[in-house]
Amino acid sequence: MRIYEPMDTLAALDRFLADPGIAASVTARRVIPARPADLVPIPGWLHPSLHTALRTRGLSGLYRHQAEAMDALRQGEDVAIVTPTASGKSLCYDLPVLQSVLDDPSSRALYLFPTKALSQDQLAGLRELAGSAGMELSAAVYDGDTPAPIRSVIRSAGQVVVTNPDMLHSAILPHHTKWFQLFEQLRYVVVDEAHTYRGVFGSHVADVLRRLARICAHYGARPRMVVCSATVGNPRQLAETLTGRQVRVIDRNGAPQGERHVVVLRPPISDPRTGARSGAGGLAKRAALSFLRAGRQTIVFGRSRVAVELLLTGLREALREGRGPLGRIRGYRGGYLPLERRAIEAGLRSGQVLGVVSTNALELGIDIGRLDAAVLAGYPGSIAATWQQIGRAGRRRDVSVAVLVAGAGAVDQYVAAHPDYLFESSPEEARLDPDNLHVLLAHLRAATFELPFDPGERFGPDPADDLLAFLAEEGHVRQAEDGRWYWASENFPASEISLRAASPENVVIIDTGGARPRVIGEVDLFSAPTLVHQNAIYLHESRQFHVDRLEWAERKAYVHPVDVEHYTQAQLAVTLKPLETFAEAPLAAGARVHGEVMVSTLATIYKKLRLETHENLGWGRIHLPETELHTTAHWLAVDPAALMGWTRAELDAALVGAGRALQTVGSVLLMSDPRDLGMVAQIRSPHAERPVIYLYETVPGGVGLAPRLFERHAELVGGARELVGACPCDSGCPACTGPRDERGGDSKRSAERLLGLLEREPAERSPAQAA
Amino acid sequence: MMDPSTAVTVPLLALRARRIDRLRDSGGIGKHHPPAIATTRPADTAAALGGALLPGSGGRVVVIDASGPLPLPRDALVRLPDPIEPGRPLVCLDTETTGLGTSAGTLPFLIGLGVWDGDRFSVRQLLLPDHAAEPEFLAAVRDAIPPDAWLVTYNGRSFDWPLMVARFRLHHHPPPAHAGHLDLLPLARQLWRHRLPDARLCSVEAGVCGVVREADLPGALIPERYFAYLRHGRAESLLEVVRHNRQDVASLARLLLALSRCLDPQAWPAEVHPGDLHGLGRAYVRRRRYTEALTCFEAALATALPPSFLPTQEADPWQVPLSQRAAVDRARTLARMGRHDEAARVWAEIASQGDRLAALAWIQVAKRREHHDGDPTSALAAAGRAAELALRGRAAGNPVPWVERDLYRRLPRLRAAAARGVRAAAGRALPGVA
Repeated sequence: MRIYEPMDTLAALDRFLADPGIAASVTARRVIPARPADLVPIPGWLHPSLHTALRTRGLSGLYRHQAEAMDALRQGEDVAIVTPTASGKSLCYDLPVLQSVLDDPSSRALYLFPTKALSQDQLAGLRELAGSAGMELSAAVYDGDTPAPIRSVIRSAGQVVVTNPDMLHSAILPHHTKWFQLFEQLRYVVVDEAHTYRGVFGSHVADVLRRLARICAHYGARPRMVVCSATVGNPRQLAETLTGRQVRVIDRNGAPQGERHVVVLRPPISDPRTGARSGAGGLAKRAALSFLRAGRQTIVFGRSRVAVELLLTGLREALREGRGPLGRIRGYRGGYLPLERRAIEAGLRSGQVLGVVSTNALELGIDIGRLDAAVLAGYPGSIAATWQQIGRAGRRRDVSVAVLVAGAGAVDQYVAAHPDYLFESSPEEARLDPDNLHVLLAHLRAATFELPFDPGERFGPDPADDLLAFLAEEGHVRQAEDGRWYWASENFPASEISLRAASPENVVIIDTGGARPRVIGEVDLFSAPTLVHQNAIYLHESRQFHVDRLEWAERKAYVHPVDVEHYTQAQLAVTLKPLETFAEAPLAAGARVHGEVMVSTLATIYKKLRLETHENLGWGRIHLPETELHTTAHWLAVDPAALMGWTRAELDAALVGAGRALQTVGSVLLMSDPRDLGMVAQIRSPHAERPVIYLYETVPGGVGLAPRLFERHAELVGGARELVGACPCDSGCPACTGPRDERGGDSKRSAERLLGLLEREPAERSPAQAA
Repeated sequence: MMDPSTAVTVPLLALRARRIDRLRDSGGIGKHHPPAIATTRPADTAAALGGALLPGSGGRVVVIDASGPLPLPRDALVRLPDPIEPGRPLVCLDTETTGLGTSAGTLPFLIGLGVWDGDRFSVRQLLLPDHAAEPEFLAAVRDAIPPDAWLVTYNGRSFDWPLMVARFRLHHHPPPAHAGHLDLLPLARQLWRHRLPDARLCSVEAGVCGVVREADLPGALIPERYFAYLRHGRAESLLEVVRHNRQDVASLARLLLALSRCLDPQAWPAEVHPGDLHGLGRAYVRRRRYTEALTCFEAALATALPPSFLPTQEADPWQVPLSQRAAVDRARTLARMGRHDEAARVWAEIASQGDRLAALAWIQVAKRREHHDGDPTSALAAAGRAAELALRGRAAGNPVPWVERDLYRRLPRLRAAAARGVRAAAGRALPGVA
């Protein structure tokens, strides 16, 4: 048999699955049927030049969602467009923006993208469209790389300004008087890739957009907002929280899609004693090889830079033995130079590049054309991201294939064991909370700096006077004789806010590996002991850095880049004290509560764990002071009466096991990074005098995860019980109740019992009501 | 979803209030300043500062007037690199602000405006007693600047004026019209920096006008004085700020006077430092006014002092003597004017003196010999002299990298050209042998 043999994608998949070793690992194979294009005629009101531009591109009509978006915008509505990658979202806003420039050359538009690479990509697309319409368009990227002489030209004459939230926050809004031409004539604000604006970052971005709205109002403009997002569970809420406006949601995707086969694989158990499974790398490599040898264009997603490099090396070696097309396999990740990346993107579009191994850098809307197969080495962390990555394979007419290989972690295992979760449930909700007090106060400072506040003026849904009075105590804000609140400080508040961190006090991470030290990022103080303690491996844009030392008093961590096959995990001694109850509801055997807590954390030791298998490679001590975090939490308290007859050991195992399962399901439900949700189990809570499981947000003040868990209690506890019950292990494993401790015991059975208790609503209420 | 019949929830704003309290208690952000209350009274402020309430401002803007004799020979200003016609009103402007930078949160709260009335110089200072009075304050500033006036500032092109423009924009007004803007900072750098420790206004007024301020308030303390005034309303904390600003405006007038003296050729040989003349020449070059520039360089050369006499502030042992720098600029200016033969003679002269800039001059000689005379062999010789000097400089620990970079390319090219020239000459001499 020739190893390298061109064949169609489906045949390659069948051959791969025919191997009995592989077949045993398949937990699901689904076929998503083809969908034809839903085309509508190009609207007659569109400017003739734009008709020409569309015709030169060979377009005789628009997809339904494009036409709907344009109609809504024309009627003055704000829109949220929620369709998958490569469904032609850019046209939804590019056409109306060009139309407004054709109608009135003084009109302006502002585009926001989360990354610089996307900004450049989208600008190129917009210019091309304007070019084929024969337009003279002044459009430019305004970011940290824009040379100073060009900046003033963009400020005064840029019809379309393409930038990112950080730049808007720190360079444009505080200098709005230099941008008055833009703000006076601003007709459109485009917020693309909005699903990336979640968590702390999203909360900041929503507040930056509140500031933008104030400035626009000051200059008499009320631009229409265009929010674009990949599929999320709560598009309306996301768009409305971000923009503070009511939006029309447009989610009927009119782009055509060929038939698509999706396969979920779970690697076999490698250590029957602990129940641990092999990592995703091996199976992912084999899957990718079958498609590459068949000559099919394939993208492989790894979860870190190191994983990408390992996969790339492995694939090239295998192809060398089999005389495969190894020269046409490329890597792609954040650290590559822009030119190199452009070349790979072009190679993918032309077919010159056959295979690419990428981090999630290729998940966003960079144009790489459409490929035959996508192989996901590890669950990307959310349903939405999974479909984004799967969407990279998808010919308009031919069949495409996606293979998801689960990793060894708990969330991965949950998804592999419950493939319905992936196919049937709606994607996760993007949570953000612009009213997080830390975030809100920070942006209120910046907003006051930009323009004084009128008495009773709202910032977000509520008047800001109470907060401004607090800032006045602090001395940075002053209420003048006209009752308005003015900035009264030498400080430049925008420079004190990082959009990536919640509290103003951050630890700066400095890379000393280059010719001169360079700041690569920040972590908030509370996370610093776990993320950047001495000898930690810190991940930044999928790159690994070794922390050489952490200067706690100076708030600085010194790192240098490394390539190692392990990561570090800090062990924490956590104590938690409830401060206040916001909402409480009874359960049959206890209560569930949403409230504010104080979490004190002391990092004690760290473990070195192998990347793929999470195998323990060693440990070290951490010497750092205790940190305190005020945050929101969702907690479950159990009535001691319901636990009659339980031994102490059973209860211990049950609380920790159930807590771990709740933590896993919680982060799956809420589309959050598992690190965003911490868990503490107390056998006798000093506050409640009864056993309590706390799930708390690890961001100061929280971003709205805890209240959502409170609301979705039934799904949370039901999911956790199901996770533990359905797990094929016999007495608990890393995939359900967490790593087993030395004492042994049946944490699985105990946890399941406890979760069963917590699931029951109060007896007097009927099940129908409880749902 | 939550069932409202069983769930107990706290109203959001009450929640926010309690969170603010916790934040206050934990000391995480708040510092327990007493709440800021507007207590500034314009009339009291005016009285304390020896000023008055500005008529027409609704009693909301404080004005402080002062004047004194300061005759300014206006005719000389026509000879500025950017000339000011004699009839133009001049407005010396200086602002005191709540911070650096020209973004929207920086507030100019005290603006000094100095104008000439015959031989008298009068300074009008406008003070903003409360944020709320800014519209009247800006109107007063606009009234003080006639549309045909020239502004005279120190660093005003990049700071004071853009900041004023920002304030007017913020209040939806176009900035006041004016005919021109003379920023003295770049001129001070060019003319006087060579004999001063730095180009800050106080250094320049001390070094050029001989004015030394006593007990002057450091600029860095000014914002805090104003914030303190806003907090407790006592205008005494502004006394020193007002005095500082008045002195700044007066310094602008004195610098203008010193500048006009520099611009007067009658004064040159006796009163003007040759280094100042050299700087003035370079300022003219920037505006492509080569005739005036040449006059300056030649005057500087004519009055050049011996190097030992030059009061160089930088104590730089490698400082090139003024006479050489002026000579080089003279040669360059001649070349720019198209007087290449004269330029070549000056370059040759500098080269032959073998001083610090001789390497540079030899390169110019090499260029002339190669391109004008068509003689690569003698050009190579000149470049060789340059290389020799550059090497000597490096050995003495004083390398001139850009000369070395130039020679790195020039020498091989000239060697090749010279070799070709020799062969070509040989070919011409023996036609049969080729």
